[in-house]
Amino acid sequence: MRTAKEIINEFKAIADNPRKAMDDYKKETGKGAVGIMPVYCPEEIVHAAGYLPIGMWGAQKKQISKARTYLPPFACSIMQSVMELQLEGVYDDLEAVIFSVPCDTLKCMSQKWNRPVPAIVFTHPQNRKIAKDAANVFAREEFNIVKEKLEDILDVHISNKAIKNSIAVYNENRAACREFSDVAAEYAAVVTPSDRHAVIKARWFMEKSRHTALVKELIAALKAEPAPEFKGKKIIVTGIQVEPYDVLDIFQENGFAIVADDLAQETRNFRQDVPDDDDALMALARAWNEFDGCSLATDANKPKGQMIIDAVKKYGADAVVVCMMKFCDPEEFDYPILLQEFEAAGVKNLYIEVDQESTAFEQVKTRIQTFAEIL
Amino acid sequence: MYTLGIDIGSASSKAVILKDGTDVVASAVVQVGTGTSGPGRVLEEVFSNVDLTQEDMDYTVATGYGRFSVENADKQLSEITCHAKGIFHLVPSARTIIDIGGQDAKAIQLDNKGNILKFVMNDKCAAGTGRFLDVMSRVLEVPLDQMGKVHFQAKEWAQVSSTCTVFAESEVISQLSKGLPRESIVAGVHQSVASKACSLAYRIGVKNDVVMCGGVAQNAGVVDAIEKELQQSITVAPHPQITGALGAALMAYEELKKQNK
Repeated sequence: MRTAKEIINEFKAIADNPRKAMDDYKKETGKGAVGIMPVYCPEEIVHAAGYLPIGMWGAQKKQISKARTYLPPFACSIMQSVMELQLEGVYDDLEAVIFSVPCDTLKCMSQKWNRPVPAIVFTHPQNRKIAKDAANVFAREEFNIVKEKLEDILDVHISNKAIKNSIAVYNENRAACREFSDVAAEYAAVVTPSDRHAVIKARWFMEKSRHTALVKELIAALKAEPAPEFKGKKIIVTGIQVEPYDVLDIFQENGFAIVADDLAQETRNFRQDVPDDDDALMALARAWNEFDGCSLATDANKPKGQMIIDAVKKYGADAVVVCMMKFCDPEEFDYPILLQEFEAAGVKNLYIEVDQESTAFEQVKTRIQTFAEIL
Repeated sequence: MYTLGIDIGSASSKAVILKDGTDVVASAVVQVGTGTSGPGRVLEEVFSNVDLTQEDMDYTVATGYGRFSVENADKQLSEITCHAKGIFHLVPSARTIIDIGGQDAKAIQLDNKGNILKFVMNDKCAAGTGRFLDVMSRVLEVPLDQMGKVHFQAKEWAQVSSTCTVFAESEVISQLSKGLPRESIVAGVHQSVASKACSLAYRIGVKNDVVMCGGVAQNAGVVDAIEKELQQSITVAPHPQITGALGAALMAYEELKKQNK
């Protein structure tokens, strides 16, 4: 039986080298990969086609130069990085790229895609909470367009049954990831913030049943030993993503463990399952319309703050750290609401800025160290 | 019982020796910061003022951007914690602190026991910091220590952008070439710094008393501009440049007491 650290290292190797994950998949199956732009793509459709859905979350500490020709400086750093990689031809071996367009930057990025790889663009309905039935029909039709375009590009037939099977594979993976997140919180003295991130990030580059098997192996390896006492402070992070790894390491250096997250790259993708429905595309549509707690998912009731406050209680967290993706306006617009709700509920909180391009972390270090000192 | 607080900032190095957690027996400031000869020189200077050496220090706390590079430090604490400690020691009525240093600005809210309730820092940008004033002082050919005096000669304040040091520099050059009075531009520069610093204070909520510290607090023009922006008077901490080092020495004393229990 492998140790938890050995398994975590495998996750880290996969998370750090998506190109290899794609090449390995191609070697094993003879099929390639479809790029999945952030955020909230019904990946199950790609999985049902037998291709590897592979996340396109930019790159850490990537120096941006060529992307400046096409993007304003105030586009978020994930998109700056994706644009730079696109211009370098990094995505040219993908079979297709799927774009959702829940923010202005993604909308413009989808229109600027200019590589030999075809882009499939779909829209999430904005009326999902006020006209659910209409929103379900709309989302289903959008997902059907994605399916049909994929069928054309990949020259495959994607059946309702295949999508249903893929939904089951994904739901099993979601359950495994939820369990891992809870076990990581219990084993906070063993699973560092970077470890936790790597395990979850790797799911963007792995066929999901393989990821599930590896996560289950890790959970078993962790549980084989009693959980050592964790003497630091427990936090919940919220935002789009927390990278580069340096930021996660600063949390660790200051005695923090991430016991749960509310990140678009992490838990928001597996917080809930896709419901059961004979019509697989309708099941995916319903899942989107029931989804909550992300600034990119329109909901005038703004339940995100309360969801985080509930998580603070559930996990006995000492505080919440808002990891604001630089120039992500949907998240920035929601921040004042979050702040008011945290203060009303007595939830201690910290705001830090996340920028993939960063190579210096002194300011983040000062903020996090101060927060550790005052908690 | 002696404790040493050493604050290595981006633009200056500061040190304070404290006796029994109350009496400042020596302090020193060297106007170069982390990565320079500043940290070594400030220690030489602070010990040269008294008949003491590093060996006589019972506990040393380092703070500031260069805190992890200080040898002989028993502990490193963030400058926000140390400034709050130092300011509350000097001005117990302080509830809002505006700290403008060499490359960053911070607003800190305290409770009535001196605990930090909230804090915010500027983003990765030199606008609204001491570095911004350095650049403007060079462009305007007004020595940094004269900026405050020149400020009060202005009849009108020019408008200077607060978003970016580089843009503001070219803006100032263009205003100079248009013949705007130098003193008006100096006042405009101070207003720009004030607007940036106050935006931080607004984010945490301004509660009285407002106390200013950091090297920029020595510039009376910036203090005036902040008072006008907040529409109220503010207190400048005594020896505003060494409040972080003082706070570090106070924290060192508390650590020592904890260990001796």
